[in-house]
Amino acid sequence: MKRFFTIVGTIDRRIIFLLIGLSVLIPLIKPNWLELPIKIDNNTQIVYDSISGLQEGDKVLLSFEYGASTKPEVHPMAVALLKHLFAKGIKVYIVSLWPEGPIMAKLAMDEIIASDLFNIEDGKDYIMFDYKVGGSIVIKNISDDFRGIYKQDYNRIPIEQLQIMEGVYSVEDFDFVFDFSAGVPGNAEWVQYACDPKDVPLSSGCTSIMVTDAIPYVESGQLKGILAGMPGAAEYEKMVYDYLTNELTNNNEYINENASITKGKAFSRMSAQSVAHLVMVIFILLGNLSYYYQRKRG
Amino acid sequence: MILNLDIIGVWLSVLMTLCILSYLYGDNPFYKIAEHIFVGVSAGYIFALTWWDQIWPNLFGRLFPSYVDAGFDFSPSYIIPLILGIFMLFRLIPSLSWLARFPIAFIVGMAAGLKVYVYINSNILMQIQNSAIDFSKSGWEIFNHILILVGVISALVYFFFSKEHKGAIGTVSKIGIYFLMIKFGASFGFAVMGRISLLIGRFEDLINYSSEQYNYATPIILISMIILLGIWSFQNNKSEKNN
Repeated sequence: MKRFFTIVGTIDRRIIFLLIGLSVLIPLIKPNWLELPIKIDNNTQIVYDSISGLQEGDKVLLSFEYGASTKPEVHPMAVALLKHLFAKGIKVYIVSLWPEGPIMAKLAMDEIIASDLFNIEDGKDYIMFDYKVGGSIVIKNISDDFRGIYKQDYNRIPIEQLQIMEGVYSVEDFDFVFDFSAGVPGNAEWVQYACDPKDVPLSSGCTSIMVTDAIPYVESGQLKGILAGMPGAAEYEKMVYDYLTNELTNNNEYINENASITKGKAFSRMSAQSVAHLVMVIFILLGNLSYYYQRKRG
Repeated sequence: MILNLDIIGVWLSVLMTLCILSYLYGDNPFYKIAEHIFVGVSAGYIFALTWWDQIWPNLFGRLFPSYVDAGFDFSPSYIIPLILGIFMLFRLIPSLSWLARFPIAFIVGMAAGLKVYVYINSNILMQIQNSAIDFSKSGWEIFNHILILVGVISALVYFFFSKEHKGAIGTVSKIGIYFLMIKFGASFGFAVMGRISLLIGRFEDLINYSSEQYNYATPIILISMIILLGIWSFQNNKSEKNN
């Protein structure tokens, strides 16, 4: 046994990389081999309940603060949330505080339009704005004077000409703010510069690495729940999928009758995530045992 | 065989992904090329975006509204940020670089002023308020609140260095260490989860681009890269032996 652990400790790191790679690759190629159940986390439930509590015609501000590198984690949340909002007839306002934000927002909207689930119209049911540099300064401006920085929408149409912009002057005119966050500026800046001072409900979907920093805001109620990384995205996708399926049978006026509802991408990725974690935990245990025996041998 | 801009984009995406992943084998020319391209493209993209989405409409749109139609009226006060912006560029001229201190001083002062209030409000006052135990809640919630309170106090005691960590203070600070360790462990776990998520995203794209629709981009580039890396590695070993 001791010999085994000593040998394990000398394995070339490239073999470990290969095994981790295979543990991710195989469940992605053969998703049917392993289907693990998804348990809904309390924080995801709070997000879902907060969005479910919104009424038809309410205004929700979405902030896209992620890019290509964090797309696998955050993008499924964005798509699921947009579906949830449009199914409830909520008006969506999209701003981007990261350079790649408008591209991500456009991809998410394109996916929603391509799904043919809703009859939504640009400038009437949703509006997108260009990227603004400045991070927290932009958030502060959105908080105080939205029209001071946003004069035109993504299509260069003056906002005065857009029906959806009626009555929108500051963050207080929104019923809810949702932030898709992968760094700075992110949910902390939205809490500090806009939603705490103006008392507007805020929630966030963020990358796994940001979760431990955001949790204190969740515990204190400054964030209404949180979608934590890919598991959070998968849980929310599942809840939205169940909601849409149910609403379709209830003849929801915002959902097209002939539309087909599909499960999101994060859901199918969770098996790969779980297997990779399992392999990693095994290697951490083996590595520690190997270190222990090597130290014992002196 | 289909060839259009989308396919070229897919091939470039696969090539760059595999070039970056090749670093797992070791530092190599493929990785270096991808790294340099990434830095250059990112800088260029952000520069162009900042110029056309921010400086052009927000600054020149207010100074020359008849020329730059961004929906703004003429505001002469925007000459000040223009001058400060030009001063910032003087950092490139050593004899005039001192002028750059003015915009930097403005940015630092303004950012600090803005941050002080919001940080004290959201991260200190509201967090202290919510660390208090709410006895009107259920049993488990009260237990969680007590746990948070103990964690906050013990972790703060650990960072209190004006008294030697002995006796009661030593015990509390030790409890604080355990809380901090749990926090670091959770952070590490979440970080690993995030990295695996990114790997899943890249692998998913590589799998999608393996099909005939994309002219078998992934297998062709992967095999070519393995062969070229093998040759490079062989020649590298040979030249090292000769030296």
